[in-house]
Amino acid sequence: MLLKRICWVFILALLATANSYAAPTKEAGKELFIANCASCHNKNMKEKLTGPALGGVEERWSAFPRKDLYAWIRNSQVMIASGHPRATELWNTWKPTQMNSFTGLTDEQIESVLLYINVVYTEKPVGPKDGTDPGAEKKEESSIPWLFVGMAIVLGLLAFALMRIIDNLGNVARVQEGEVPLQKSWVTSLTSKGFIAFAVFAITLLFGYKTVDNATRMGREQNYQPTQPIAFSHKIHAGANKIDCQYCHDSARRSKQSSIPPTSTCMNCHAAIKKGTISGTSEITKIFASIGFDPISGKYIPDYENWSEKQIEDLYKKWIGQEYMAANTLTALDESGHQTVDNQWDGLVKALKDDTNGKIQGPVEWTRIHNLADHAYFNHAQHVAVGKIECQKCHGPIQEMEEVYQYSTLGMGWCITCHRETEVKFKDNAYYNQYERYHKELNDGTRTKVTVADIGGLECQKCHY
Amino acid sequence: MHNDNGIWVSTEDLMQEASFLQSAEKEFSVENIDQTDGKWSTNRRDFLKLLGFGLGAATVAASCEIPVKKAIPYVTKPADIVPGVANYFASTFVNGGDYCAVLVKTREGRPIKIEGNTLSSVTHGGTSARAQAAVLSLYDTRRIKFAGTIADSEVQQKSWADLDKEVKAKLSAGGNIRIIAQTNMSPTAKLALAEFTAKYPNTSIATYDPVSSAALLAANQASFGKFAVPSYHFDKADVIVSFNADFLGSWISPVEYARAYAKNRKIRDSKGMKMSRHYQVESHMSLTGSNADNRILVKPSEQGAAIVALYNAISGSTGGPQLNDKAAASIKKVAEDLKKASGKSLVVSGSNNVMEQIYVNKINDLLGNINVTVDFSSASNQRQGDERQIFRLIEEMNAGQVAVAIIWGANPAYDLPNADNFKAAFAKVGTRISFNTNVDETTALCNYSAPTHHLLESWGDVEPKAGVFSLVQPTIAPLFQTRQAELSLLEWADSQNLNRQDDQPYYQYLVSSWASDLFQKQSKYSTPGAFWDMSLHDGVFELPASETSVSFNPAVSLNPAGVSKPSGTELEISFYETVNIGGGQYAHNPWLQEMPDPVNRTVWGNYLSIPLEWDGINNINGWKNFKDGDNVEVEINGKKLTCTIVRTFGQMPGTVSIALGGGREAGGCGVGYGVNVNPWLPLEGGLVQYFAADVKIKATGTVDKHFASVQHHHTMGVKAMGKEENAVINVDEKSLGYKGFQGSLTDRSIIFQTTLNELPKLAEEMVEFHKETKHLNEQSLYPDYSNYYGTGVKWGMYVDLNACIGCGACQVACVSENNVPVVGKKEVARHHEMTWLRIDRYFYGDFENPNVVYQPMMCQHCDNAPCENVCPVNATNHSMEGLNQMAYNRCIGTRYCANNCPYKVRRFNWLDYTTADTWPSNEERVFWAEGDDKPFYADDLVRMVLNPDVTVRTRGVIEKCSFCIQRIQEGKLTSKREERAIMDNDIRSACQTACPTGAIVFGNLNNPESEVNQLRNGAGALAYQVLEEINVRPAVKYSAKVRNSNEELLS
Repeated sequence: MLLKRICWVFILALLATANSYAAPTKEAGKELFIANCASCHNKNMKEKLTGPALGGVEERWSAFPRKDLYAWIRNSQVMIASGHPRATELWNTWKPTQMNSFTGLTDEQIESVLLYINVVYTEKPVGPKDGTDPGAEKKEESSIPWLFVGMAIVLGLLAFALMRIIDNLGNVARVQEGEVPLQKSWVTSLTSKGFIAFAVFAITLLFGYKTVDNATRMGREQNYQPTQPIAFSHKIHAGANKIDCQYCHDSARRSKQSSIPPTSTCMNCHAAIKKGTISGTSEITKIFASIGFDPISGKYIPDYENWSEKQIEDLYKKWIGQEYMAANTLTALDESGHQTVDNQWDGLVKALKDDTNGKIQGPVEWTRIHNLADHAYFNHAQHVAVGKIECQKCHGPIQEMEEVYQYSTLGMGWCITCHRETEVKFKDNAYYNQYERYHKELNDGTRTKVTVADIGGLECQKCHY
Repeated sequence: MHNDNGIWVSTEDLMQEASFLQSAEKEFSVENIDQTDGKWSTNRRDFLKLLGFGLGAATVAASCEIPVKKAIPYVTKPADIVPGVANYFASTFVNGGDYCAVLVKTREGRPIKIEGNTLSSVTHGGTSARAQAAVLSLYDTRRIKFAGTIADSEVQQKSWADLDKEVKAKLSAGGNIRIIAQTNMSPTAKLALAEFTAKYPNTSIATYDPVSSAALLAANQASFGKFAVPSYHFDKADVIVSFNADFLGSWISPVEYARAYAKNRKIRDSKGMKMSRHYQVESHMSLTGSNADNRILVKPSEQGAAIVALYNAISGSTGGPQLNDKAAASIKKVAEDLKKASGKSLVVSGSNNVMEQIYVNKINDLLGNINVTVDFSSASNQRQGDERQIFRLIEEMNAGQVAVAIIWGANPAYDLPNADNFKAAFAKVGTRISFNTNVDETTALCNYSAPTHHLLESWGDVEPKAGVFSLVQPTIAPLFQTRQAELSLLEWADSQNLNRQDDQPYYQYLVSSWASDLFQKQSKYSTPGAFWDMSLHDGVFELPASETSVSFNPAVSLNPAGVSKPSGTELEISFYETVNIGGGQYAHNPWLQEMPDPVNRTVWGNYLSIPLEWDGINNINGWKNFKDGDNVEVEINGKKLTCTIVRTFGQMPGTVSIALGGGREAGGCGVGYGVNVNPWLPLEGGLVQYFAADVKIKATGTVDKHFASVQHHHTMGVKAMGKEENAVINVDEKSLGYKGFQGSLTDRSIIFQTTLNELPKLAEEMVEFHKETKHLNEQSLYPDYSNYYGTGVKWGMYVDLNACIGCGACQVACVSENNVPVVGKKEVARHHEMTWLRIDRYFYGDFENPNVVYQPMMCQHCDNAPCENVCPVNATNHSMEGLNQMAYNRCIGTRYCANNCPYKVRRFNWLDYTTADTWPSNEERVFWAEGDDKPFYADDLVRMVLNPDVTVRTRGVIEKCSFCIQRIQEGKLTSKREERAIMDNDIRSACQTACPTGAIVFGNLNNPESEVNQLRNGAGALAYQVLEEINVRPAVKYSAKVRNSNEELLS
């Protein structure tokens, strides 16, 4: 193993000297990986995505010449057709998903990618740096109660000891007065007035605390992650494809609502991209059925709103079937093909059929995740266009969410905390010139920053009216 | 009786009656629910039921999961809609002759608010209460939802195609067709009507207006050869004389007139101010009369005599009917004033007597006002009706000469004096078709209903004045299966010019009508497309003005015998149109019903105003000792009705008055409020007269147990003569049972008033006053906040009491903008009205003929707000922008704040008025319209009117004016996004935009350039804060009220 590693290093060193202009680097590899591979291969190199996990790829190909791996990366279908044993093995596992061709990649570039894969694969997970690791928060939270439990036990023992002392002192006094010392049993101690009063007090306190605590959380839905009618992946769209959030949520910059994009916005891309890399026809067909797009002819259906469900069913079943056959190089639908078509159609009906009018046509009814209370006013434009806040600040790592969940509590305390901490873009915006005193203080140096709270960001009527 | 030149609201106030003290003492009425209506009583069983339900509901609510909510995007988003951002469409409010150019605010395609259109040369962005309330009538649950036949006041649905077929068969049968309509100002509608008439030549139209101006039109025809209302230029007149014409409230074009009128009456400076002088000759206190500098009291039947007297005084003639001595003397002095202002004066009359109107024309002619202040250059189309047409039609129908009658917006079965005759004659017509939107009194008698769209769903055009055009565009797709009346006419006429394949055939018809007619007449745009697009964008379009000059026809003879004769009877009555309900057309709009009558302050109905009698020493009593709320039996001409009394200052002794528009019998939520006085209206020369003589009034011994007048609600700091003390006392303090503290509380400053001559003196006094209050306020324990408010924005307001005419547009605008609930008559009777902005009306001066000042009163956003200190949960507190904030979700309903508010502007949700509560058991006690099966705001259709930017408050919380915080937030955000300083136009409060006269100005006090600062500084010492001396430091300043009274008339 070590020998092999040394060999590789040697070979790489050789290659590097042979091509003096570009030694493979981790950085170049990362760039190439993100540009070419990340849409199908998981960037942690350990888990499958559309394509297999790439960690250890060199080992798996070690039985073959290095150029075979290059050839595979450049054009996998040619390798499969040529009957290369490793290629055939892979095809059998992953078909019908084909790997894209990257004929333009140089050997050095491929080596860079392989180097990057190896580095990511072998590096030890580093502890949470950014605080997004949910485990870390939990640990921090849970450490506090334990401290309290410990303290409670100590105080309890102390109280118990004090009670014993009082009892004993009482008995001493009795003995001195010539009376028989009282022998208190556990039962009498526990049924004593003082203890019961204490117990009642403690229980009331505990229940009161829990009631208030739970009442505050009522209506809050942090981590709410409903299943949506369409398995839309922000991970693919925002993460892998890097589509700007405001491309789809275009009202965020000019309205209080960020708004779920209309189906027509989806069609800007999906009129061309008719199948998903993971889902194939099952999800994107739902968009077509919502707006009335015929994927076979590539045209919108003129009087779609008057179509019967049968007509719609025929069209989209035909499309799903056609694509199934193409993917499996079949000329007719096989058993599993029929099942695929039926399953996908059922999914489509479930997602789109409107309870009120019973029609497939029309908007997709998404389940709303972020529900702010009616009496709270929130304006996206203020935060996005004026405050220039990243969407992720409130919505979390959306670009990593396969299915969106509510990241923040959306509680008032959470808003207030942010308003206390966030600095206003004070000097860049002429609107804030009116705050003459603050500007003066900033210039004097008596003030270092102006937070949202300083310009009234904590006032009731900023959000409640 | 001495009043210390003070102000008062009513006799109870002046006389310090126990009821008033009690009323002033209590922030809210203590009357229990079960006292007001037996239906509402709660017994032990109900209590147990409620208790059980409450426990059960609490358990269920506690264990319930949060409901799953859906978020439904558009399939294809319309390009101009951004969810969460309002769109404004230029359109027009028009109803018969009522006109207002407006912008309709829509959210996600749903109209929620009406604003004025500043591009209009007629209304200049002003609105009226009627225009503001139009958006609510769109969501009227009683609108007819489909075409059909009518049986038992119910519409049985028929498809439009079937209806068209049946109607066309009837129309083609060859009988006479008659259309009964109100004033129609739409050129394109007239085109459609012409096509209909061409197809069916035996058609004619009977046009009349609910409140008639037929005599004015006839007189103008005779005098100038013009069957039209001229443009009256109130801004060019130094002396204005109005004979019972309510031109600020309801007469012809009040929004236009009010703006022009107020232009010369605002305070700019305490020295050298110029002001027009306005005389009003009337018997009852009209809105216009209440604003006049001098009121001359004449009995309704003496109007003619008064006009002739003025003519005589100007022309030097003699003769004519006898006028009461006092008025006759006054008229002579008015004539002198008028003659001095020749060519710069204006005389108008609301009379419906042709000869009287000819006299008025002649007076204007003699004064040289014709073609100057009385201008036919762009004559108004706002009145075209002549009731003689419909009276002739009644005869025709009786004779069986009419085969088909079509009702188009008119409601003759209600608003004609001889409605019974009409009903009997109408029954003889075979086919009776109604275009009306609701099953009103007349539609109920029809056999076909072809309901038209609501205005906000319609296309159309309006020509309110010659050469001035305004477009109506839909702001929502039709809510129901209705069809525009014009389209129905074209459809029935088998019009060749109608593109039936189009989605909106009438839209196409309108566009081509504009392209073929108006486009040709203008030169600004080179293509019909550009012309249409820009006109639609602006909402208004004007042809270059063409000068028309007229001269008084010398052949017209003036005959004093033609004017009305003084009746000589003991008691006369006048009938007037109110600013809110009109002639009854607006009775089904709850916002308007709940807007108090500006003068007598009553809501939900029409009440009989009776005069007050002063014994000259120490007592003021209602005529015949009647009290407010007493029911009396009134008999006129043998017809008896039971009316409810309201004692009204300014009502001439020997006269009473009552508003038109009450007692509607069908069609909406106004049914059952007030009495229908139309049958009392006499006819003179075929024209309806709005007064009657020989009135008999008999006590019934009963009272209206829900008498709803807001006169004594939320009073503050009114001072009056104390009976026991025999000195001026503060009413609030009296009610609390102890005497003034340091004297400062007794002399409370609410209103400052003077005459123009005395203005410099008042200015001096007010300098002293400000000095004194400043001194008082400096003795404060409160810290100085000037540094705190000194940075950023500080919001404030200025209200010019000289520009405020009390029309109530701001009040309805506030209700519309801020989701203020409608509570209904019973709740108002219990002091539970919820309006955030009220218009206080104070009297001052002569008890028998007092002056009036209106004061819009909203939260004053005090820097030292007394309400804030007493809130136990800190639900109300101050922002660094100077706003007194109210957090509803924190409020626990102690009402300490309302108790401690010196201005009494805080409102408490006693019941679940908006049905925002999740527990339906609370709903049953709020306002239900007659025949409704649920509370007013419980219907999803009505709830569409709610402003989504303002929380709908639930039961048990306090609410109040927020200075339209949602508009402030929006305006601030706009300027932040545009990275610039905030400007005046970014934020205008709802009351400010609604005001036709520009009396209310809102803005940033920290910006010395802002309009609000300019005006406040301009008024100098004449600007004051109400209760300035109590150191609450309000953000609102008012101006002193100045009258340009002719003091010779005051004696």
